Amino acid sequence: MNKQIAKIGLVLLLITFGFNAQAQRKKKLANRDTKAWRYDVECEGIAKQGSKLVKVWSYSKNPKFAIGQAMKNAVHGIVFKGYAGGGNGCTSFKPLVRNAAAETEHAAFFESFFSDGGEFRKYVTAAADGNIAPGDRLKVSKREYKIGVVVNVATDQLRKRLESEGIIKALSAGF
Amino acid sequence: MKKNIVALVGIVMLTISLGFSQAKKPTLMVVPSDVWCNQNGYMLTFDNQGTQVKVPDYKRAFQENAEVLQVISQINGMMAERGFPLKNMESAIKTLESNAAEDNMRSSKDTGSGVSESPIDALKKVAKADIIMQLTWTVNKTGPKKSITFNLQGLDAYTDKQIATATGTGAPSFSAETPVLLSEAVLSHMDNFTGSLQTHFDDMFENGREIIVRIQKWDDWDGDLETEFGDDDEELGVIIEDWLADNAVKGRFSTTDMTADMALFEQVRIPLFNEKGRAIDARRFVKGLSKVLKNEPYSIPNKLVMKGLGRATIILGGK
Repeated sequence: MNKQIAKIGLVLLLITFGFNAQAQRKKKLANRDTKAWRYDVECEGIAKQGSKLVKVWSYSKNPKFAIGQAMKNAVHGIVFKGYAGGGNGCTSFKPLVRNAAAETEHAAFFESFFSDGGEFRKYVTAAADGNIAPGDRLKVSKREYKIGVVVNVATDQLRKRLESEGIIKALSAGF
Repeated sequence: MKKNIVALVGIVMLTISLGFSQAKKPTLMVVPSDVWCNQNGYMLTFDNQGTQVKVPDYKRAFQENAEVLQVISQINGMMAERGFPLKNMESAIKTLESNAAEDNMRSSKDTGSGVSESPIDALKKVAKADIIMQLTWTVNKTGPKKSITFNLQGLDAYTDKQIATATGTGAPSFSAETPVLLSEAVLSHMDNFTGSLQTHFDDMFENGREIIVRIQKWDDWDGDLETEFGDDDEELGVIIEDWLADNAVKGRFSTTDMTADMALFEQVRIPLFNEKGRAIDARRFVKGLSKVLKNEPYSIPNKLVMKGLGRATIILGGK
């Protein structure tokens, strides 16, 4: 009897580890996608002064991870990618960091900034309570989803943080 | 040993002074464009020897139009947040008026004489800034739909170059009021404007400040820019060009005009700091040329006049 319970326990433990490892692997994949700029940012409308309302399209085999990664992608996009203008009165937005080499020059800072649970979270909030519109959940291939999440990025605060770190220059720098 | 210490201290002090040097900060001011003033009826018309001339009536625009105040206030706020508080044109006009009134009333306690003011001084008493942010917007209406076309131009007051811009038409709306649309327009365009302004400043720090240098002569001076000097009979105009080539950053300048009586040099790139590490402007830069001309072998007395950070004129032949 005791042996049977031990066997079942072992099997359950292995299953749990398996799920955990699978989740870790997907998280790593999502992070790799962010680093490779495998996401799309588009302007969603005019936000309050000092912030940008954007829709981030992230890719993942599991929609849950795409939603989780959207906030990181949004901040990454504002810092390194920018976006083109479009509808809703949006104008184009150039990335905060214009120097292409900055990401490698300040690799240590960005590594910690964009780590899971890193500082990037201070500068982004979910709009629409994090709900995904039905049209923003697209299955792009047999095994992959493209998920659009609307978030609000506090660009002014983010810019000031990067200025204080010496990664970008303030407008009044040198005067 | 002592000499080494003195040299070391000298180098450290020079490094510190250069490190803490700050370039002369340009002033910025938002000014409603002539087009906006004309479209909204804020113009003064006067007869200039038979020709009807229209000039913008800024004072009336600020007194009567709440929208212009809203837009300027919002732009001022956003620029202040970026460490660049702007000059407020409405306040500048009021200050000029109160200064003029005070100057008219002021008299010396001892002699009763008034404050000295030349006609040029009087002409210079206008609201001015180094960079003018020229603002235009139009409200477009298609049936019940409204949208705003917004245009903000950053103009260098001396070189007349457009150094920053943000322009575009916002999303049409059925219900939003004009002030709301205007506010959205400012919010959506200011990042692009500051972005292009940043590019201009980056260029300035790398290649020097761009200025205009003019050379003129007094009527009663018997020399001119074709007067020859030295053993190789070099003309004065060429001597001035050589000085600019030697002293401008990377020797960059363009000779736009050169006659016997005047010369105009544009796109003159001057360093932001002199050899002592002090911030300089057009006047301090051209002062060097003024001294060279005043001294042997040229011995040309001259007058140096300035206009803000970016324009200086030398008038040859006397003070």
